Amino acid sequence: MHHANHHYGHAHILARYCRIAEPMHPPRIMGYLQHGWNIGDGLAPGTPYVSGSRLLVWSEETRRRSWSQGRRNAVVVGAPFSYLVEMTPDDGTPAEGTIFYPFHGWEGQQVHGDHQRLIDEVRATEIGPITACLYWNEYRMRAVRALYEKAGFRVICHGYRGFWWRDHNRDFLVNQLAELRRHKRVVSNRLCSAIWYGALAGREVAVYGDPMVLDNADMTFGGEPRLHRQWPEVYGRQTDYDACHQLARVQLGADELAGPDELRKLLGWPKEGYV
Amino acid sequence: MPDRPDMAAALAAPPLTNLTRFGGEMFNWSDTRGRRNALLTHLIVELGGPGRTVLVAGPHPDEVVAALAAGGAEVTWLLRSLADAEQAARTHPTISVLAGAFGKVDLTTGFDLVVAADGIQRLNSAEGDQLSAGELLDRLAQAVRPDGALVLMHDNQLGAHHTVRLEPGRRQRDDAAWYPSDGQVADNPAAREQLTARLTEAGLVVDVAYAAFPEPATPAVLIGGDALGDVASPLRPWLQSVLEQAYTTAFRNRPVLSDPRRLVGRALRAGAEDTVAGGWLVIARAPGDVPAARTTWHDVLVGDVHGAFTYTVTADGPKVLVPHDGPMEREGLRRLDVPVAPHTGGYLLEQRLLELCAAADVRRLRQEIAQYESWLATHARDGLVDGPVALADLSGVAITPAGPTVLAARWEPVEAVPVEIVLVRALWQFAVRLITWGRPHPWPVTASAADLAAILVGMAGRSLADEELRAAIDLQVVLDGAEFGLTQGERQAHKLALLAVQPGTAPLDVAGYEELTEALWRQRYQASHLLAMMEWTEQIIRSRDSALSKMDFELQLLRRSWSGRGLMLAKKAYKKVRK
Repeated sequence: MHHANHHYGHAHILARYCRIAEPMHPPRIMGYLQHGWNIGDGLAPGTPYVSGSRLLVWSEETRRRSWSQGRRNAVVVGAPFSYLVEMTPDDGTPAEGTIFYPFHGWEGQQVHGDHQRLIDEVRATEIGPITACLYWNEYRMRAVRALYEKAGFRVICHGYRGFWWRDHNRDFLVNQLAELRRHKRVVSNRLCSAIWYGALAGREVAVYGDPMVLDNADMTFGGEPRLHRQWPEVYGRQTDYDACHQLARVQLGADELAGPDELRKLLGWPKEGYV
Repeated sequence: MPDRPDMAAALAAPPLTNLTRFGGEMFNWSDTRGRRNALLTHLIVELGGPGRTVLVAGPHPDEVVAALAAGGAEVTWLLRSLADAEQAARTHPTISVLAGAFGKVDLTTGFDLVVAADGIQRLNSAEGDQLSAGELLDRLAQAVRPDGALVLMHDNQLGAHHTVRLEPGRRQRDDAAWYPSDGQVADNPAAREQLTARLTEAGLVVDVAYAAFPEPATPAVLIGGDALGDVASPLRPWLQSVLEQAYTTAFRNRPVLSDPRRLVGRALRAGAEDTVAGGWLVIARAPGDVPAARTTWHDVLVGDVHGAFTYTVTADGPKVLVPHDGPMEREGLRRLDVPVAPHTGGYLLEQRLLELCAAADVRRLRQEIAQYESWLATHARDGLVDGPVALADLSGVAITPAGPTVLAARWEPVEAVPVEIVLVRALWQFAVRLITWGRPHPWPVTASAADLAAILVGMAGRSLADEELRAAIDLQVVLDGAEFGLTQGERQAHKLALLAVQPGTAPLDVAGYEELTEALWRQRYQASHLLAMMEWTEQIIRSRDSALSKMDFELQLLRRSWSGRGLMLAKKAYKKVRK
């Protein structure tokens, strides 16, 4: 229903999993699919919500929180990335180095912080080649990109997540999974979707460094300080692999994934063989 | 009230030599006799026997009296209605019929067996003094000879049948309610212990005091002895299944405050079934030199509401006490007699699924459903399933450490059923219950029974075709038709109701007020959501129309000449500069 359902190629991954005839042109999802890891009710703040619609959240914890926030039609489906991991076995190519995700804003909120200090800290900590993955708007900022390039980082971008069903990179998460698997470690300066994705993909994860400041940050659900308190396991330069992996499975609903026929019904898509 | 008597017919009728009027009898009055009850008849007849004198106090089904008389007992039947007494005297010429108020009859000679399975409510007449509940009980007890026995059913005022009653104006409409029949008097025993204490005080020894379900007038399940209140008993899951069946039959199509099955199910899990039982059936005897006919009683007895069939469950397994007396096959289904394995313990699959749904535990739901599907597959031969497994509801399947097993199923198909239809029917029926019982589940509030069935079948790793769902619903209609004796018209109406189970559908069997208000809440949710969806659809169509128009415009330009392409580039440059 909401155009955010198509962000990051989420709807396309689910269409592929559900064996929809044209997965690159998925049917409309009858509900609001959570489109990023979320410490609120599963919807991005300010999303216009059609009363009574189903909210398709990633994890049971988010469903409970969503219920506590007045959402009565929240259904756990699991993160699209978890389905992608299920569908894409690791080919066993040796991994090396670190992929670093500087905390990013989005089109409506910019981040403020010292990229150089962050770069220095990552370089001092990580061993082996480092890839910096910038959000699309920062990737377009030549000055920011140059900072990372100058430090010897390989600089990449997974692409544009799309807006109003246009220009989205349908292979956003496909590329991200491939990049995550190329590296041994996944690092960020703030706990975000990429850290959980990395942990689910079987990588070491670590969150450290200046968390940076987001314009008009919404503190309704505790903001950045809450992340430290609730998920201390992922913070620090070295973390416990098993603990982080298990947390990622919970946050991404990896043990709650629906079967293809089941998921079709939850998304409001037709049964296989029906139009 | 009966019709005005036909004077000419009355004068022409031969005199009734076996009828005695002892005063206080009610004129122009008739009590309903009660339905045939296999369980009660079996118990009472066991205590009768050749030469034994029996007092049947109050209205009872004719079958009880006829069976006692046929067994050689000397039966005296006491009725307050003169018309009923005359009818009884004509129908049973070998017995003695007494017409009048129970308080006026002389019972000093005593009886070997006193039967008051109708309770004490209909012993007082409208004429003369009104005996209190305690006095009536005392008189019944005094009528038992030293070596005799008493069979008494006593209504439980805290029973689920009273708690869920929804009959506005019942007291005002009931001609028999010159005093409230629900016993607002101090000496009316209000608990099983109070009842047995009262009878003990009256000089009797209580052999067994069963909790009777679902209602005192129509007991179908009796639980007593060690089985009563024992939550650790391996019989518990089976009892839950049997009680649910009994309440479904008794309360089908009756408006109630709240579905009694939930209340009784909770009580059973708490070991408190005695508290919500419809009544208590007590078998007591007077101490004497001659031993009573028997002194040991089965802990659990189950009767069939459709016939004489009665069975018990002992440590060695189920045992038939009275075999079926009716046709064994109906509409391609064959009636089953005893439960397959009541002692298995474990937990009921339906109960576990309801709990997991309420806890939104989809992971374990998948495990349970996958296990059930695999179990069904092991029973399939060439893709077909026969026997009790084919038609067992999830409420009749227990999960034991050794795997699933059928605890209770009342029918089996004459011809085997495709395994996928067996699976779909069971899961779809569960989906219907989730919706119509207003139970919480982890799927969209707006999902229909067909949607939920598709999700549940999907959890078993299978897809659900429309024709499979239709076949499963047809099978359910056949099953319900056989179970409840539905006519062709009723079946068609039932099928349409089953096909139309949407969020907000009211209960299809027991119409509980609580469940109806829950259905109303869901209807309102659905309606407000649909209105919001209509508004959103209008908005999105406008938005998409606009986007399409812009894209069409861009496409036309691009398809044209180099100048068009140049213009697009210029537009892009302009936008960049404006930023």
